[in-house]
Amino acid sequence: MLSRVADSLYWMSRYIERAEHTARLIAVKLESMVEQTPEDAAASWARVVESLTGAKSTPLHLDAFAITRHLAFDRDNDNSLITSLSLARDNARQVREALSKEVWENLNRLYLRLAPVTVDSIWVHTPARLFRESLEEMHALEAVTYSTLSHGEGWYFLELGRHIERVQQLGRLLDIHFTAAQSENVPKYFDWLVLLKFCTAFEPYTKQYTASIRPQKIAEFLLFDSEFPHSICFSVDRLTEALARVAPGAPPARRAAVERLAGRLKAAVDFGQVDELMSGGVAAFIADITKQCEQIHKALYSSYITYGAETVL
Amino acid sequence: MQHEVFANTEDFGGPDIVAGTGRVSKPGVDAPYANYELGKPFDEMFAPDGQARAPYAAIDSRVSSLPLEELNRRQQAVEQSFLHQGITFTVYNDNQATERIIPTDLLPRIVTAREWDRIERGLTQRIHALNLFLRDIYNDGRVLKDGVIPRSMIYGSKHYRREMRGIPVPHGAYVNICGSDLIRNEAGDFVVLEDNLRVPSGVSYMLANRDVARRAFPAVFRSMGVRPIEHYPLELLATLRSLTPFHEDVSIAILTPGVFNSAYFEHAFLARQMGVELVEGRDLLINDNVVYTRTTSGLKRIDVIYRRIDDDFIDPLIFREDSALGVPGLFNAYRAGNVMIANALGTGVADDKAVYAYVPRLIRYYLAEEPILDNVETFLCREEKSLQHVLGNLDKLVVKAVGESGGYGMLIGPHASQKEREDFAEKIRADPENYIAQPTIQLSTAPTFVGNGIEARHVDLRPFILHGAETKLVPGALTRVALKRGSLVVNSSQGGGSKDTWVLSQ
Repeated sequence: MLSRVADSLYWMSRYIERAEHTARLIAVKLESMVEQTPEDAAASWARVVESLTGAKSTPLHLDAFAITRHLAFDRDNDNSLITSLSLARDNARQVREALSKEVWENLNRLYLRLAPVTVDSIWVHTPARLFRESLEEMHALEAVTYSTLSHGEGWYFLELGRHIERVQQLGRLLDIHFTAAQSENVPKYFDWLVLLKFCTAFEPYTKQYTASIRPQKIAEFLLFDSEFPHSICFSVDRLTEALARVAPGAPPARRAAVERLAGRLKAAVDFGQVDELMSGGVAAFIADITKQCEQIHKALYSSYITYGAETVL
Repeated sequence: MQHEVFANTEDFGGPDIVAGTGRVSKPGVDAPYANYELGKPFDEMFAPDGQARAPYAAIDSRVSSLPLEELNRRQQAVEQSFLHQGITFTVYNDNQATERIIPTDLLPRIVTAREWDRIERGLTQRIHALNLFLRDIYNDGRVLKDGVIPRSMIYGSKHYRREMRGIPVPHGAYVNICGSDLIRNEAGDFVVLEDNLRVPSGVSYMLANRDVARRAFPAVFRSMGVRPIEHYPLELLATLRSLTPFHEDVSIAILTPGVFNSAYFEHAFLARQMGVELVEGRDLLINDNVVYTRTTSGLKRIDVIYRRIDDDFIDPLIFREDSALGVPGLFNAYRAGNVMIANALGTGVADDKAVYAYVPRLIRYYLAEEPILDNVETFLCREEKSLQHVLGNLDKLVVKAVGESGGYGMLIGPHASQKEREDFAEKIRADPENYIAQPTIQLSTAPTFVGNGIEARHVDLRPFILHGAETKLVPGALTRVALKRGSLVVNSSQGGGSKDTWVLSQ
């Protein structure tokens, strides 16, 4: 596979994952805010803004309308829903020949549908609906990708992009919530419930732990459950699996550089213990996992994508 | 390899029966042809007396029986489908990028078997002569020594590539992919307006349009014996393969300028249809005069490049050094015979508008045959007598800058203002060698759906000729349509659209 094509597939997938995550956070927030006091809702919106844009404090934090505009439709926001979709589509267009017709058309249709939407136009009735519908279409896109694309190297680059992005997004979300738990602004029961919903984890969690919502159990579930698709452990497993499948013909030395890092990450997650983390160590643990993902990203690029010709000739 | 790439979910077809209403619709009188003007130009569908020509009878009875709203609905569904498939080009205005589709007309244009036979023989003859000419001027220059064509016209052409001299080209095939523009004159004969020998585009629209028309009029399509064109990608692949002696495991790539190029959709489409790599300049690197692509598993050798980048940009070491699209060292790899490039470099010298005027003479010179397809009468401003004729008749002529394409650098005399004509006359006097002129040829008109009816619009015809070890024409073409009433400019960059072309088997 051409290195440039791998690069575009990887980023296309990262941006789709980012868009999906963004749409879900906005949808859940818009749906749940009515059940919160204005103060709680504002604190919760601030956590969403921080996790999606990195902005620690935002002048927008009191106004759901302005925040939604910024997170969903602001093209000057590098991480907005529409920016992510637009970048995903730009990448897809560059590798049109490596995608199936269905994958391209689903993505293209979704983008064309959202491109003209403004926050004013959705605010009149159930603003969350647009984001729920977008999520449905993104799930359809995921299914179409799964069932129409050969599960070869290209598909594994999509997997890599998806799960590296997911670990980063999940990590940031958990980090913010568990850091807040150590401060005076402790998240309430409802906030923990919303956190589960941010990760589509509410029902799977209750199946495992019943409806008793406890931060320690949430951490255990979202970090270490190997079966739930939006857990760190699950994504790390997919990631290590995908790393073993890409660049099959690369020289062993370059493969080893990547696989060593993947092995280390998997070990960290497989042998992590939630009891050890709960006394303030969750943030440090997540910081470590995130850093390891960044190293994997770099190694992936220098081994398979941007390597200099002099290293092989 | 599958060809149903344009299949899609939108419904723009519909029930379609051949049996019509039995009534005879008169152009200029009856709906849907109430605003259909029959004038001096040849009309593809109607004879001068207003009778539909025989090959159009089935289409006529079909559209006459369909309500306009239904035609409108099908037309909109087609446009929606093109947008979703990304069959678009991007227009940049005030830093705003807008994606547009190239409008496609539902109604097919029909070419009879006899007409096609002549086109096929004529274009085959022409591409043979042009390739012999290219081989000649890049080697012995016999045609120049014999005084058939002026030396200065060749060596002075900005498309002549000195670097190509003496380089062996497989089968002597310099032009492997050619898209010639034909028009039908007032007498109803096809004549050649332009040879596009560099990087002609449009073949993906030929295939996309077929899918549209076949679904819009399935029964008519079936009943008429339309010859298939879907094997074009296979023929192209065979042509590219024939350029190298290694027949096993030849590695082929299409070289595209990238996603911002207006024909990018076509590049990606052909790559998918042929199952070859689509590469950009930055994917390629040269080592020891061998071309490689950078893949995740390491470097992979490339044997044949179908380039969709102009000569000027292909190798910054040899041609334009500011080119970021090309590959440094590619030309040396080519010269060393380690990679084949289609089309060869330097073919533009032969589709120069001045050289065009000499093509009939070149056919006689190289093949000792009479041209099967005529040229449009052409005045070379470099010749004093012609220059005076051109300057004296600017209001009747179309003047074109030699070596420009896409409808740029031209004056359409009858449509220009006095001021525009005077300004252009200045340009011609300043540099007569750079201009040629032709009578305003009335391109033929064809029925075109315009929203509230069917009207006559000017069309041309671009068949695609493949030339490697053998010469092949897929029996079809891109029919380009000037969508503005009365306009003669069919270029997509200037408001043109296109429609399907049905070549009949008998």
